[in-house]
Amino acid sequence: MTVSQVRGAGVQGGHKERYAGTEYGGKTNFLVDKTRLDIVVVRSQVDKVIQTIASTTYTGEIGDGKIFVHPVADVIRVRTGETGAIAERMEGGMSDRTS
Amino acid sequence: MSASIQGTHLVGGISRGWTPVRPIHRHNPPFLRAGRCLSQALRCQGASTAAETIAKARVVRDGGTRDASMHHLETERFSALDRVSILSEALPYLQRFRGKTVVIKYGGAAMKDPTLKAGVVADLVLLATVGIRPVLVHGGGPEINIWLTKLGIEPNFKNGLRVTDEATMDVVEMVLGGRVNKSLVTLIQQSGGRAVGLCGKDSDIILARQMVEKEIGFVGEVTGVRSDLIKTLVADDYIPVVASVASNGAGQALNVNADTAAGEIAAALQAEKLILMTDVAGILHDRNDPSSIYRVLTLRGCAELVGQGIIAGGMIPKVDCCIRSLSQGVRATHIIDGRQKHSLLMELLTDEGVGTMITG
Repeated sequence: MTVSQVRGAGVQGGHKERYAGTEYGGKTNFLVDKTRLDIVVVRSQVDKVIQTIASTTYTGEIGDGKIFVHPVADVIRVRTGETGAIAERMEGGMSDRTS
Repeated sequence: MSASIQGTHLVGGISRGWTPVRPIHRHNPPFLRAGRCLSQALRCQGASTAAETIAKARVVRDGGTRDASMHHLETERFSALDRVSILSEALPYLQRFRGKTVVIKYGGAAMKDPTLKAGVVADLVLLATVGIRPVLVHGGGPEINIWLTKLGIEPNFKNGLRVTDEATMDVVEMVLGGRVNKSLVTLIQQSGGRAVGLCGKDSDIILARQMVEKEIGFVGEVTGVRSDLIKTLVADDYIPVVASVASNGAGQALNVNADTAAGEIAAALQAEKLILMTDVAGILHDRNDPSSIYRVLTLRGCAELVGQGIIAGGMIPKVDCCIRSLSQGVRATHIIDGRQKHSLLMELLTDEGVGTMITG
């Protein structure tokens, strides 16, 4: 998982997002501080990850964000040179616990 | 308070036949006793105003009439060792919130009754003394009505919102920013705290946009909070007392809802807690049964309860304010009964609390 601090905005049909007590979306303050997560998992775990993220970060207010799902061509572990499914797999992860 | 599992259970139980969660009655929870010990010096019998109460208590505390008065006070039951043990037990609770900011919206009956008022002020000073950082935000509807009547202006309401023409706005600004604000500041000073009275116009603490579409005059919707001044004061151990009068950025004062103002200030300060003092015990499943209180709710739980009509009327804006705060990063929000003695301390410093806690 990689976490980065970014700035972003959506356009909610004129409705404004609130952040730190201030309304955003005007000409002078369009971008809001956000946190971005980049997560790569094996196909079978994607739904579980989406469910976890969506349920814990849900607030119901504008600014909750979006989850984009896209395929990853390959995964390479730099330390060992492994590629593919072995490189994605984490020791002690969900697949170890359920198998 | 770590009761999120309990919260989920409540949400799950709602659509399948709700079972009331009975509050866990711990007799004399440690910090309530400690609270009474610490604030025993700040309560007396027979005072007719909050100021008198505090003035009398000062005499006792400073040792003026200690022997005679101690006889009437509650701690005669506790030995010195008891008192110190209770305080010692309370340590984990105090440590949990030390240095954290807590925004308290003060209103309702607790604001009118002198004894309750003195009690809240005493609790506030206690919190500040142990290192928890309170910020007080207040409105003051009844006081405004009194002064409008004195000046011969008719108070006017439309859909629960005060119709605020220019004359009314002047009175609102004077009463909230002057009378109510300074009386609170004075009480806190008398109790040994260091208070600073502000209104939203000071250093643009609360910025608002006039809701012209509602046609009720100078009533505003909060658009921004500049929290630098409050942060400076809180860092220097002052208790800011903020009146809910906002600025429109161009010199016009606007009347904003105090709950909303408190919520947005809490968001701007990234406060640990937002506490709304009301005249009800909390969010009740059955409005006639105070024991049917929800101790913990999640955001989704609230949305469900609103949909089912269990949260209705005047509670909806308060819950909306809590949701808005939570979604902006405030850790937890609480709705407590200001009429109950030490409700503030009990909510903060015991596991079960006395009101409803809404978490993310």
